[in-house]
Amino acid sequence: MLSLLDKWVQENNELANNFKLPEAQEATSPDQNRTNLRQSCSEFHKLLRKIQGIPPDAGHAELELSVVYNASVCFIAQSQIVEAELLLQQATERVLQMTGDDPDTSDPLVLWRTVLKSVRKTAFHHHVLYLLSLQWAIWLTNSYLKTIRDFQEEISALLETLSGKVGDDCRNETKAKFPDVPKLITDPRRLVELLQICTIITQGAERLSEGWSSEVLSDLQAASTLPAARALVAYTHLLSGACLAHMNRPQMALQCYKTALETDSHCVCALYQSILIYRQLKNSQAEIQTLRILHSVSNTKILLLPSSSEPAMAGTHLLSPSLFLRSQSLSSLLSVPSALSVLHSLALKCVLHSRASEGVEHYLDLLAALHSEDQHRIGAKTMTDTQVHAEVSTLPKLPRLYLEAGAALLMAQRPADCMALCSEVISTTQDLLPQKVVLDESETNAAATEDVKEEGEGGLAMFLWTAAAYLLQGHCFTHMKDWKQAVTHYTRCINLLVKVHYKNKVAGFQTQIPSADTDVQQGGDFCILQRLKGLSFAGRGISFTQMDRMKEALRDLQHSLQVLPEGVGAGLWCGEVLWRLSRRCDAAACWEKTWSLPTQPLTETLPVYVQEPQTGPLLDSTELRHRLHELHPV
Amino acid sequence: MEGRCSVETWAEFGLLGKSGRPKVKRGFGANIFICTGCEEVYVFSANERKLTVVLQLPGPVNDLVESHDKQLLVACRCGVYCVDLQLLLHRAHGSSGDASSIPAELKISSEFVVVDADGVSSLLLVGSVLLTLSQTDTSWLLTLYKSPQQTQPTAYEVLGSFHLPQISPVVHDDTKLKAGRTGRSILLCAHFGNRPPPSSSCDAVDTSYPHFCLKPVLFKLLFGVEAALAKSPVVLCGLPDGRLCFLPLGLPGSRLRVLHSLEQPVVFAGASVVVETDPGHAQCLAVVGEQGRVVLIKADKAGPERRGSLARFTEGCVSGPVECGFVDKNCLYYSTGSDLLTLTLSEESAGREDGERGEEALRSPTSLNVCGVAALTEPTCSAAGDVQLLGLTVGGQLRSIRLPMRRRGEGSPRPPSSQVGRSVRDLLSAIGDVCERASALKTVIKSKNQILKQLNQVVNISFLLTKTEEPFPFEEKPIGCHATASWSRSLQKDTLNLKCVLTNSSPYVLERGWTLSVTVFPLSCSSSTGEGTSSTNFMFPFYNLRPGETLEVSLPAAAAGDTSYPLTVNCSLILSLSGFLGEEEVARLPGWQKSCFSLPLNTLTVDWLHASQVISPTGSQSNKETDTLQAFLSSRQIGCSKGDGASKPERYSASVRVSSELLRETLTLKSFHLDTKGPELASPNICFSLLDWLFFEAHGGVKVGREGNEIDSSGLAIRARAPNGATVKLSAKQINVAEENPGKEEGLVCVEVRIESSSVSAVCGLHHAVLRRIQSLLKKAPEKAASTEKVQRLGLRGALQQAEIQQSRLSEALSVGMSSSQTNRFLLGVYQELRANPLLVI
Repeated sequence: MLSLLDKWVQENNELANNFKLPEAQEATSPDQNRTNLRQSCSEFHKLLRKIQGIPPDAGHAELELSVVYNASVCFIAQSQIVEAELLLQQATERVLQMTGDDPDTSDPLVLWRTVLKSVRKTAFHHHVLYLLSLQWAIWLTNSYLKTIRDFQEEISALLETLSGKVGDDCRNETKAKFPDVPKLITDPRRLVELLQICTIITQGAERLSEGWSSEVLSDLQAASTLPAARALVAYTHLLSGACLAHMNRPQMALQCYKTALETDSHCVCALYQSILIYRQLKNSQAEIQTLRILHSVSNTKILLLPSSSEPAMAGTHLLSPSLFLRSQSLSSLLSVPSALSVLHSLALKCVLHSRASEGVEHYLDLLAALHSEDQHRIGAKTMTDTQVHAEVSTLPKLPRLYLEAGAALLMAQRPADCMALCSEVISTTQDLLPQKVVLDESETNAAATEDVKEEGEGGLAMFLWTAAAYLLQGHCFTHMKDWKQAVTHYTRCINLLVKVHYKNKVAGFQTQIPSADTDVQQGGDFCILQRLKGLSFAGRGISFTQMDRMKEALRDLQHSLQVLPEGVGAGLWCGEVLWRLSRRCDAAACWEKTWSLPTQPLTETLPVYVQEPQTGPLLDSTELRHRLHELHPV
Repeated sequence: MEGRCSVETWAEFGLLGKSGRPKVKRGFGANIFICTGCEEVYVFSANERKLTVVLQLPGPVNDLVESHDKQLLVACRCGVYCVDLQLLLHRAHGSSGDASSIPAELKISSEFVVVDADGVSSLLLVGSVLLTLSQTDTSWLLTLYKSPQQTQPTAYEVLGSFHLPQISPVVHDDTKLKAGRTGRSILLCAHFGNRPPPSSSCDAVDTSYPHFCLKPVLFKLLFGVEAALAKSPVVLCGLPDGRLCFLPLGLPGSRLRVLHSLEQPVVFAGASVVVETDPGHAQCLAVVGEQGRVVLIKADKAGPERRGSLARFTEGCVSGPVECGFVDKNCLYYSTGSDLLTLTLSEESAGREDGERGEEALRSPTSLNVCGVAALTEPTCSAAGDVQLLGLTVGGQLRSIRLPMRRRGEGSPRPPSSQVGRSVRDLLSAIGDVCERASALKTVIKSKNQILKQLNQVVNISFLLTKTEEPFPFEEKPIGCHATASWSRSLQKDTLNLKCVLTNSSPYVLERGWTLSVTVFPLSCSSSTGEGTSSTNFMFPFYNLRPGETLEVSLPAAAAGDTSYPLTVNCSLILSLSGFLGEEEVARLPGWQKSCFSLPLNTLTVDWLHASQVISPTGSQSNKETDTLQAFLSSRQIGCSKGDGASKPERYSASVRVSSELLRETLTLKSFHLDTKGPELASPNICFSLLDWLFFEAHGGVKVGREGNEIDSSGLAIRARAPNGATVKLSAKQINVAEENPGKEEGLVCVEVRIESSSVSAVCGLHHAVLRRIQSLLKKAPEKAASTEKVQRLGLRGALQQAEIQQSRLSEALSVGMSSSQTNRFLLGVYQELRANPLLVI
């Protein structure tokens, strides 16, 4: 009997040693590790079944509980939570049989409490505590935060006991030299530390999403001093920042994010969170700056292996923290947009905040990335990626991206490049355009074309892209002062746009002016349509003006103002045409009206290419005012 | 008759395997890769017309693909293996200097694994990205791998994977089986515009079959504007559940989407130019399903009321099943297994009625009269306009199929005389081909019929022999054995020969595959002691035993001096499958090669009486000198061993008493012809006939082959030599058993057979034999009221008394410690006593 016990102890220790051996070599591939893990798991399990074949006996409890611990750790590391839980339950029942207590319940909480009470005085008290820590890990993995809170008392006792063992530790060390002590594959103390901080982080995220930001804050700040991996400490800082942001203290939040980044340079989500705060603060310069950093970081991240960004720890290598950080609200906090999305928002921000040339560079990078072969890895969802950093792709449709890039190029005074991009869009969409698009306004869903069914992109979207491309080309020719060509392209744009019909004609055009309460998507499309109309008419009008065809110019500009009353260029040029047609009073009224409009900076709510062109022939407002003064010398 | 195609067989690879998928693919430099559905991949050089390399993989091969740097990627059950082809071919050439006919062989082991995934069914290389399609329990998995830069095979890095949930296939039942053998799936890649995306040096690969360039409009219509803008290659995969899915490779956030569902396993998909407007742009995507559904996907102008285009799906049906297919510029080739057919894809794609015309074209396939094609390669066009296809037939032959150039629009111009001659020749050869095929089929059918007939006989016979209960309780089975035992002398050694005769009295013929198996083993060690150590088995294969015929075999049952009688002879008929069907047929039934069925016939017994030789009373003329010598030697031996030189050995005896009434009733008929004195036999006659019956009649199916009447003229004693060499005297005499005490009634007349010999074993053996025979006699005796029960009862009482006494003596003797020799002697005494006072057999 004794020799059998010794044999089992020996077998356990050999397995544990075997497991530690390859772990020591960093070079092993994750695949190899996984198979190794699977193998050890089944071995431990086999051993355990052998041991549990004999009736429970306090004499070999230490061995049995150690093997249960090892097997369960292996199961948890493979995310086989149910199996691990079963093992723990069996073990607790057997412990109760050893101590002679009656389990008489199947409720795990009560069971655990009974077990803890009954083993307090026994020699294997510590081993039962190890198992409790595994139970804690399972609860955490399953996000049973309430259970953990209910068990808070026992858990803190556990923490105390195990950390109180520091003194015993050296004794343990010496004992480990004897072969008759069953070895554990991970240090339970490290595990408990890991669990502690992960619990605080998960709890923090959950409670934060429930709105208890101020309560959480102190916990998190306390947790930031706990001994743990830097990545986890960085998460505590990040969460504190999120709390502060929630409590409307953006500057302090920024400070926290900064600390998080300083703690762990891989904590990209802190960067992203600070971007969101800068956006909220409308500090576009800082936002662009941060986006730039985020972009460069995520660029390098692509090159690195996915596992290297993973917070890894030496002691608890087996159980990765990502196992315990599975809460939904946490992962939404930790999510970072994909590298391409970051690049896109960086480019867009630059363009919107008058850094056109830089924006153009970013746009070109983005397009190049899209065409390169390497981006398969971005398109495909990688399996190896742990779920902690879920990447969100918010990239717009490709034609829109092209058009934005085109608009940026035009702003950066590169009309030829812009035209190339636009013609690419046109050549792609042209032969697919239906004869007409009928918009059913009574329906809330947008762009229901009657005959043509395009999956994904409706005919309307295709129309809008093509029209916008023509509009941009018109702008380019205007920029190059090729008025005739400009008129041709604006006309093409207009011809396309008039093919969009409305079903409810009764309501007339007036009701279709977008208001804030209309459906976003429909309103968006409709708004774009209106703006395209307004801008193309305005552009053609301006071109006609340059060609001295005042009548056509006036007609187009007035059309434009009808569709898009807030068009500044159209307003000013309409006045100018009127002035040239010697309708000076009308001209003055027109100018006055235009000046009274609030000046609109470029916004993010509309695509760049449907906003007022920054180029083209300009009218000097001071000169116009001067003329008005001459008209009304009062 | 437009022109016949010429077929040339290039190589043979044996029958196609069931587990993998047959494939033929063209590679670089006239290399052709062939998988026959087994574990092998063959590399065949089209220039040299010979097999250059054979690769042996660890599992059935599903797919293979050649990369641009001449690496061969092979998808197996257990993963994807990468082999450097150049190295292989180089090695093959190096070794082929002298022995050019032997291809290089290479066993592919796990060190060549580059992708460790189970059940990869299709492969595709797009640039440096390797795509694998595999089936999991719940979904289809399309996985992207990055090819490593260096050339040595290292594991490929996973880029990502796409899932498509499985649906239960909406196919007919009979195809489910076929789909079960790893659902055949296909992967191909559509490119936008003229050429594939600029990547390293993969043009050569990316322009041939699984890659094609679609006409831009069709591309945009099918795969969307975004894919077109990004110029992204689109992967198409056809699944066994009938779905044709696509995935734009270069788009962020793209998903695997279903393009069309064929509702039957997709066998082939490919693109055809149809009519050349832009060079290299395919205008038509053709998909073929297993049951013969063909879908042609083309871009079409929308109706006159609106501009724009739409994709038109023309569905049609050809008579299935379709084994494989291929398209070239304007034709779709497909094989139904029994014929290779071609469909001309319609050219005038402009008109409105195009759709109908397309269906029309689908209805009129042209037969090419090539049968058994299981896999096709991409057609190649020679300068002369001939189209060459490579096909792998069901029989494992690599065939080159050359189609003559089709002249369209030219009506039927008079061909030059040489061509006429050629076409006649082709025609004749085709007829010959068909004839050959037909005759081959005929012989196959004939042999199948024959086998069925024979199988019927076999089933009948086995039914007859295994049906043991009712019809033949006593009489013998219609097929059975009987034997004659006789002594013969060869090589100075006497042996007891057994001549077994198998009689077929059943109405069935025992045809091929039958074997008579005779097992001889001593009764004493039949089952419990010896594990066949002393049993001998004789097998006699035979052929065609018609009803009424007999088969005679003779076998040595035992040598002289072998005293382990009685012998049991088990006869059985064995039908072996390999003998019945022939080795080749059986080889097709794995697991049945060694199987045979055994049908037990009957069991014969050769006992002491059979084995003892009668010593002629008239003289010792039959006794040769050797016999005397032997006798002398044996007596010397006995003398030596005994030591004390006892001149007269002890005599043992045993006797059996049979009532003469019984004998008279049962033996009369038999001895009637022997003795014509009448039914009332005198007492010596009874004794005589009993001895005669004991010695010379057949017992237990075994007769003794003795010549002449060698019974003592008095007819009351026979001297015989037992097989162990001892002389035995059997004597019969009639006695009157009068019961001692009551004495009133008339005593019963009975015959006592007495066995006397100096050898105990001979006495025992013969006694046993005589008893056995009389037992059988009793079975034959008609039932009658036992008038003599009293006598019997008295006898029984006496016997019981004696038995009690003996038992008490026995237990007494055994309980008291005795030396072994004493025990033996004592036991012998008891035995003799038992034998000397026999019970009367009535």
